[in-house]
Amino acid sequence: MFSKLSITALATTALVGLASAAAAQDCPIKVGVLHSLSGTMAISETTLKDTMLMLIEKQNEKGGVLGCQLEAVVKDPASDWPLFAEKARELISNDEVVVTFGSWTSSSRKAVLPILEELNALYFYPVQYEGEESSRNVFYTGAAPNQQAIPAVDYFLEELGVEKFALLGTDYVYPRTTNRILESYLKDKGIAAEDIFVNYTPFGQSDWATIVSDVVALGADGKQVGVISTINGDANIGFYKELAAANVSADDIPVVAFSVGEEELSGLDTSNLVGHLAAWNYFMTADTPANAEFISAWHAYIGDEKRVTNDPMEAHYIGFNMWVNAVEAAGTTDVDAVREAMWGQEFPNLTGGTAVMGTNHHLSKPVLIGEIRADGQFDIISQTEPVPGDAWTDFLPESAVLTSDWKELGCGMYNTQTETCVQMKSNY
Amino acid sequence: MTQGFLSKNPSVLWFLAALGLFTLCVTVLSETAGVGLLSTSFIKTLGKTLCLCLIAVAMDVVWGYCGILSLGHFAFFGIGGYAIGMWLMYARTEIIVIRSLNSAAIPPTPEEITDAVGQQIFGVVGATDFPWLWAFSDSLFLQLLMVVLVPGLLALAFGWLAFRSRVTGVYLSILTQAMTLALSLYLFQNDSGLRGNNGLSGLQNIPGFEKTPQAVISLWFFWASALALGLGYVLFAWVVSGKMGSVIRGIRDNESRVRFLGYHVETYKLFVFTLTAIVSGIAGALYYPQAGIINPAEVAPIASIYLAVWVAIGGRGRLYGAILGAAVVSLLSSWFTGGGAPNIPLGFYTIQWTDWWLVLLGFSFVAVTLFFPKGIGGLFDLVVRKGDQK
Amino acid sequence: MLRALIIALALCLPVSVAHAQSTGQSPTEDLQTVLQRHADEVANPGRRSVGDLIADLVGSGQPNVATFLERWQDKGVYQRSTDGLFFYAKRQGDEYALTNMTTGEPAGSVPTDIMTEIRPNGGVRRVIGAALVQFQLSDPDRARRVAALDAISRSPDADQIEPLRDSIEGEGDPVLRLRKERLAGHLRARFGKSTDDRIGAINELSSALDVETRSVLNLILTTTSEVAASVPEGTNVARILGVGTDISEAEAYARLVSANLAPAPIPRDAIKAALTANITDGRVGGIPVGQLGSEASRTAAYDALAAAGTVPPSVTAEIRRAALASNIFYDAYTEKDAAVTDAARAALDEVEARVARYQIIDISMDALSLASIYFLAAIGLAITFGVMGVINMAHGEFIMMGAYTGYVVQLFIPDYTISLLVALPLAFAVTFGAGVAMERLVIRHLYHRPLETLLATFGISIALQQLAKNIFGTQARPLTSPGWLDGAWVINDVVQIANIRIAIFVLALIFLGLILFVLKRTRLGLEVRSVTQNPGMAASMGINPDRINMLTFGLGSGIAGIAGVAIGLYAKVTSEMGSDYIVQSFMTVVVGGVGNVWGTLAGASLIGGLQKGIEFFNPSNTLAAQTYMILFIILFIQFRPKGIVALKGRAAGD
Repeated sequence: MFSKLSITALATTALVGLASAAAAQDCPIKVGVLHSLSGTMAISETTLKDTMLMLIEKQNEKGGVLGCQLEAVVKDPASDWPLFAEKARELISNDEVVVTFGSWTSSSRKAVLPILEELNALYFYPVQYEGEESSRNVFYTGAAPNQQAIPAVDYFLEELGVEKFALLGTDYVYPRTTNRILESYLKDKGIAAEDIFVNYTPFGQSDWATIVSDVVALGADGKQVGVISTINGDANIGFYKELAAANVSADDIPVVAFSVGEEELSGLDTSNLVGHLAAWNYFMTADTPANAEFISAWHAYIGDEKRVTNDPMEAHYIGFNMWVNAVEAAGTTDVDAVREAMWGQEFPNLTGGTAVMGTNHHLSKPVLIGEIRADGQFDIISQTEPVPGDAWTDFLPESAVLTSDWKELGCGMYNTQTETCVQMKSNY
Repeated sequence: MTQGFLSKNPSVLWFLAALGLFTLCVTVLSETAGVGLLSTSFIKTLGKTLCLCLIAVAMDVVWGYCGILSLGHFAFFGIGGYAIGMWLMYARTEIIVIRSLNSAAIPPTPEEITDAVGQQIFGVVGATDFPWLWAFSDSLFLQLLMVVLVPGLLALAFGWLAFRSRVTGVYLSILTQAMTLALSLYLFQNDSGLRGNNGLSGLQNIPGFEKTPQAVISLWFFWASALALGLGYVLFAWVVSGKMGSVIRGIRDNESRVRFLGYHVETYKLFVFTLTAIVSGIAGALYYPQAGIINPAEVAPIASIYLAVWVAIGGRGRLYGAILGAAVVSLLSSWFTGGGAPNIPLGFYTIQWTDWWLVLLGFSFVAVTLFFPKGIGGLFDLVVRKGDQK
Repeated sequence: MLRALIIALALCLPVSVAHAQSTGQSPTEDLQTVLQRHADEVANPGRRSVGDLIADLVGSGQPNVATFLERWQDKGVYQRSTDGLFFYAKRQGDEYALTNMTTGEPAGSVPTDIMTEIRPNGGVRRVIGAALVQFQLSDPDRARRVAALDAISRSPDADQIEPLRDSIEGEGDPVLRLRKERLAGHLRARFGKSTDDRIGAINELSSALDVETRSVLNLILTTTSEVAASVPEGTNVARILGVGTDISEAEAYARLVSANLAPAPIPRDAIKAALTANITDGRVGGIPVGQLGSEASRTAAYDALAAAGTVPPSVTAEIRRAALASNIFYDAYTEKDAAVTDAARAALDEVEARVARYQIIDISMDALSLASIYFLAAIGLAITFGVMGVINMAHGEFIMMGAYTGYVVQLFIPDYTISLLVALPLAFAVTFGAGVAMERLVIRHLYHRPLETLLATFGISIALQQLAKNIFGTQARPLTSPGWLDGAWVINDVVQIANIRIAIFVLALIFLGLILFVLKRTRLGLEVRSVTQNPGMAASMGINPDRINMLTFGLGSGIAGIAGVAIGLYAKVTSEMGSDYIVQSFMTVVVGGVGNVWGTLAGASLIGGLQKGIEFFNPSNTLAAQTYMILFIILFIQFRPKGIVALKGRAAGD
């Protein structure tokens, strides 16, 4: 009974699969946008939805893709991880989108992963993240730790001479994993365990008084203290307000943030935060013609000259254009064909140079470090050559032996010691 | 006895018949076994809705029949989900790990397997060791036992404390709300050992059935949910009928008088509270493998308040009312928020239902409380009474 | 300003000339030439490499070096891409107005795209600051002297003792003089010439409290972890560590390994790799491969291999124990002089004991602040609950409405002080109106069904929340506090509290007084109290309970609006802020006992105090603090089901 059922099932799914593959060439081509428009992450993600709509509109003005117009399908997963999974399934199986751009938090990406791998869908993730992942179905256009966190810590160690670290983060997978990598890295660099202070707060934390005064008190042993912040979403507002209220000067205790960009600062008075740092692959102040054009297009689209641009927007810009080029190259929107066409895709960065998509589904991008200015923008004080994103960090012993190469090895988690593929699908 | 119970409660038979018919229709229309009109994701939605109906019935018994407005029943639902989720994650990861380790020249040791599984599961929260909570996670049987035991014991302890101190009315509601808030805050912590904010994910992949397509698995869970709902309905219909049902309703209407009549009110309340908690746990254990992910936000106080809203809209004090409410409101919710409803252009402003649905729900909820205190189920009364008058 | 600069230059001239002579360089070399020699370093300075450049600059003896360093530090130096020359520049429209560094004369205007702004990073700026110290210590401009002192405290150095001590004499500003003396004390304690000098300085430090002094003492007391067969002569031992008590065995052994005093243990992976590499005929060390699925058999196989000499021997428990027993683990001070470290230890103990006492005061103030926020958020709820017996789930949304009112007012009135003064009464008016409307339209019809009121108001709550989202968007909106509320009240280095929190505390006090006054001293209050105690009797005495209910509800909601403005000022304004506070408010009311202002105050103090108290013991986990607090409340209600201050009358029933 069951076997009969499942045979029918296989046949039907195959039929449906064929039907949808054929349908994919039909116009318009649907593009999913899965960013939280409400809840604690809305502060960061709403802009990304608008960016995607702008990019799609501009592409349509240029004649669309494969002679078809693109149609955006927007869903609001409301900063709720299970809702991400549900909405992703709706997008892929009901709306039949050929590609989805979405997520900010790693938890939401991990929630979507099983759906993507089950339905073999394509997903572009635009935010810096903790690495330790390389899914067949996801392209990571944000920075891996070696493209943001590690260079920022190097900057702290080399340029600022920081000897004692406070790792403050929101309590979820990105800060946890990043801090684990950083702790291991710092210990390699000779920082003692007692000189690393770790604190996690829930999403939307608003009472920062105690934590900020704890950080200030860290300086009591005469070591230079630096804060590495992986605080996410609107909790940053309270954190920076408290920092400013406590008059913590960047010269005494520099703070480098990995999730705070122009967008997050636009709701704040930054005059007390001048000199604190952020590490990204893009800043709005980058002085290139491509960036000027992007900013003016964004202002024209959103109808507000005061709106800012930020790193994940650039990531979507690169990711979307690479996808368009890959589709044109493959001549189809079929997921597997586009996936293979993505490898080695090149597209100019807004900060100069060219981003290249590696076979581990990560981009190579330059690393920038910026200091906050009084107007909420960043002064770029350090810019490196493009760094290829590393899916599995070299600074955790269990990950150092792993590598990802979908082209040659066909595996996202390949153990180079035992020369075996640990797993084809991700473990979530 | 059963004969008498059923003949006294014809609505139970009607319900079972309707449920059976519904299950049959869905099965026939599904991709797996029939014409493929219903997508896999819709079957999952329907299966999840059946689980929500089950906890709504439980909520109706505890609130509509026994008068305890619990704002914490989703805590039990969540515990059920976590209990089954632990086994699903462990077993699935173990299979992956063993497959990977077996490719080495030397067979793996048990310690190696445990370490690698811990690495995989807890890597995302920056840990590698198994917390004590996971002691039984390798055994499906024990975790299934947990689905029943943990919500039951928690409800028993909480209820015993609360009812014994004669905490009633609004106070009890707030207290149950505090319970679910404490649980969700606890789970949000990484130290709780349940992966904090990330929750347990990938639960739709059933270990041992990797090759079975989700279209089939979703139907299995749909059937299981329908079966659970049917059994739960019969169980609760039996509880609220007969002499025990009268006592329970009496407690709702006037607790002191029932006490003066010599009944041990606390025992009855405790029984109802614990039984509904257990059923909620079972509903959760069926729900989350269909949802695929559970995280602490699921047991936040708001979820339990929505549960009360469903029951109130559907109609308290009648079991089918709770089911109606849960099914109608939750399906409407996903229809409206999923962008299924057509937008209404007003010329100067376009009403987008994704934005306005909650406003509509909120106000319609006020309207129901004000004008139809008996909910949708009350409409049936009107029809029936009209029929009687003719 | 210009005059100050000239004087500054005149003052620093002798010092730099002296330097120039000592390094023997030609004093005629001009600034630009020196900079061009290090052009790359000037344009892209690094903390570690910039020292040479600065030494060269200071050594050049040019009078304008100090000015250059200052402008360089403030990102005022630009490089012209056409010829690589450096200028001071100021942006004027689309152009830069250039200034020649050597002469100080204007050097024309150029388009922006050929000038590159030079941005020394924070580390470099600190090095520059340290170099500027000698120029700035006696500068007539107070801000410069402060900068110099900041620089000393950031990077203290033995060379600074002399100039600092010399500058104390001429210091006119009493605050700075005190600070200079303190800094000189710090420097003496660390770098003083004789033991007595240092001990004297250290003893003076024991009366301090600040982080800086503590850091000085801690630096003197810096220890390194050592291990040796016996403690070498002349070591200033801080303490001897007992294995198993002060230090775990694993950790101790790891130290031995890193000191090359013991062989490294072989990890499981390495054993596995060694076994895999030595499979012969399906056997390893005589054991069939198929049986290697347990730790015991792997160890046996490995030992067999080790016995055959193919792999290094494994580290057995005996080897470990012997190695641990034959070595001493100790912490040694880097400071060799035991008298100094003893004095520093005593001073630090004294300071730390004082810090601990103040920390308790600090945490109490935090708790008080939190309690006042909870009180403000909950008092409106308590009044309505007490008088009418209904719980208003939309209370949190009234808080949100108040906060958004403040935000909207700021859109129209740019002056933050005035807008705040407008926003407070307006927020009260708006939420008062909303509360009265809600009472008349909904709650009035549900008086005898308290549980349903709870649910109906929940419906209103979700509708209002979504409405706010539709109107104001989902992103957080700024509600900026006026300048005089920025900053903090600093009592000393340990005890300080943000001004905004003090303001909220004062606001809470005002409302406590106001509510007490209204309830106890006015006609309305009398009527409210009578309705609370016995509505039927009150009605027969000629009081209109409907009117009283309406007004009470309006009052409760209005206070929520004010609380919203206050909360928005220190946190954020979002559509979901209400739900963050509603459950806490419930707890406050229920714990305190309904319908009583003092009860709410007690509840808020208990919850605020408890939460901060738990956080104090577990600072890195605020969630745990909240969890334990709620568990405590659940238990508390079991024992006092009616709250701290139980009330008799209508609300006391169910």
